[in-house]
Amino acid sequence: MSVLLDIQDLVVRFYTQEGVVYAVNNVTYALKEGETLGVVGESGSGKSVHALAMMRLIPSPPGKIEQGKVIFEGRDLLQLSNDQMRLVRGKEIAMIFQDPMTSLNPVLTIGTQMTETLKLHMGMNSSQANKRAAELLDMVGIPDARKRLKAYPHQFSGGMRQRVMIAMGLSCNPKLLIADEPTTALDVTIQAQIIELVKQLRDEFKMAMIWITHDLGVVAELADTIQVMYGGMVVERGPAKEVFGDPRNAYTLGLMRSLPKMEGERERLTQIEGSPPDMRIPPKGDPFAPRNQYATERCFNEIPPLMPVRDGHPEHLAAAWYDLRAILEAEQKEGAVS
Amino acid sequence: MSLAEPVVKAKRAVDHNDVILRVRGLKKYFPIYAGFIIQRQVGAVRAVDGLDFDVYRGETLGLVGESGCGKSTTGRTILQLYKPTEGVVEFEGRDLTKLSPGDMRQMRKQMQIIFQDPFASLNPRMTVGNIISEPLQIHGLYPDKKERQGYVEQLMQRVGLNPYFINRYPHEFSGGQRQRIGIARALALQPKFIVCDEPISALDVSIQAQVVNLLEDLQQELGLTYLFIAHDLSMVRHICNRVAVMYLGKIVEMGPTDEVYDNPQHPYTQALLSAVPQHPNSRQRRQRIIVKGDIPSPANPPRGCNFNTRCPVSFSLCYRDPDPELVEIGQGHWVACHRVTP
Repeated sequence: MSVLLDIQDLVVRFYTQEGVVYAVNNVTYALKEGETLGVVGESGSGKSVHALAMMRLIPSPPGKIEQGKVIFEGRDLLQLSNDQMRLVRGKEIAMIFQDPMTSLNPVLTIGTQMTETLKLHMGMNSSQANKRAAELLDMVGIPDARKRLKAYPHQFSGGMRQRVMIAMGLSCNPKLLIADEPTTALDVTIQAQIIELVKQLRDEFKMAMIWITHDLGVVAELADTIQVMYGGMVVERGPAKEVFGDPRNAYTLGLMRSLPKMEGERERLTQIEGSPPDMRIPPKGDPFAPRNQYATERCFNEIPPLMPVRDGHPEHLAAAWYDLRAILEAEQKEGAVS
Repeated sequence: MSLAEPVVKAKRAVDHNDVILRVRGLKKYFPIYAGFIIQRQVGAVRAVDGLDFDVYRGETLGLVGESGCGKSTTGRTILQLYKPTEGVVEFEGRDLTKLSPGDMRQMRKQMQIIFQDPFASLNPRMTVGNIISEPLQIHGLYPDKKERQGYVEQLMQRVGLNPYFINRYPHEFSGGQRQRIGIARALALQPKFIVCDEPISALDVSIQAQVVNLLEDLQQELGLTYLFIAHDLSMVRHICNRVAVMYLGKIVEMGPTDEVYDNPQHPYTQALLSAVPQHPNSRQRRQRIIVKGDIPSPANPPRGCNFNTRCPVSFSLCYRDPDPELVEIGQGHWVACHRVTP
């Protein structure tokens, strides 16, 4: 499959009164057509900011894209004029956000907001656009779609609003859908509805997807590829099965061990000590080093590059100066002896 | 981070005859008013609509459900932070709803709350030391300033905060640390019972385990009883001895955690559990039950069983009053469903 999106060496910083925030540090990755990428990280990991930067939605000032390329179908999005970029947003790449409450305009009807993109990008007239909007609402499971076009956002529940956002995102058949924590604000039963819906639509529309979340369980269900971010860097990346089954970065392993399980014996949770890094300090070494018991001298002084892992899947990459697999194997042997 | 072989948690022995909190027929309705100048009540939001349950000394009872089901209101109504509309809340045999404000204040020494949002629940203009010692001053404990400071430092140490930071302000701390401040404040009066109102849902994933482990250690050490309100069902399974599932102001199922998780009887519990994203390395793949639609408004609950608008197995009886009653079907396992107990 050919490459749809190629991000190269992306650096984003925010120049705030409290100092420079090093939000995204040299992020490089590629996304294939039709691939679903799950980006996992906690707040401040740069997972959302890198997606916003790619869409050129970083408020500037204070934000600034310092360097990098975002090649989408052969064009560098960062070099496009504002008008050209507007044609990409919504049509080629669509984005849905975490909070469906604030991302819809409260004083316009759902219909007005949905038909706007259709008219702008697809050149439809009002009646065509209305018809298509009703079809889309129907597709995302909103009953009585025609009538609901005249409703305002406050008349919809959270789950329904997120469905509207998804319908708007899909309205121009984008090649790439970026979903930034789309189910975080929703309850689990509604989250399950939305995940099912997105899976089904993704297969129907054959689009690529970037699903940004902090919930490992959610991406495990959806994504082909998992990318773990920490301190504005990609620390591990690979096929979902590889990353979860054979993690090579201590942060990935720590995250998985800190989650409680839904079955089996209850064990004390293995906690990650310390707190996430202060992003105002320019990265010097491995951002996870201060919280990592396996960190070596080198981890504190030199940023590890994202490299293919030893004896692993060829697409499985990790940024670590230590060999986590060797360490774990040694630990296991030791445990067996004692 | 310790990656040594995880320790299997020792099960705490809980005496089911030793009831610390008894709740009967608890209701909390919030009135809805209409009219501009002359206001009259036109309805009520039935946030909590008739709860009966016991909490045993030394256990953790989980209260789970989706937003708007009344779980937080329940916690606050038990502590009399909201005045109950109806019902009895007995703490160690004394009915809290009948206490005078002065007596209630004395009772508060025994029962405390940890809030969800560590950013909103700490006064930004107070130092950590003042925040933690405020309950002591209110109740006139540790009148000697030196002794008080010593005690506060001890508390900080106990919850994993460096006492060196006693004069810092909340904004200088991270989310996890702020939650520790909230926990220290709750512990200051040496309570027996703590309502944990979603104490980890505002925290980063890598911090959640720290706070949960701390809460467990404190329980073990101090013999605390928790009412743990949460929507994260995997964390509830981890921390709770028993769990009560709420839907639209009512308990639909309650029982020992393993029993409810392995053998859920109410269709809502079944759907709720099947909707939880599983641990990435989980070998079991559950059949997912997707319930349609949204939770109805508690101001206008459906006639009959509250779950009938979304229930996949509802039948004629479910649409008629009265609502199904909570019936004990096994050892301490209670269900309110016409399908289970016709």
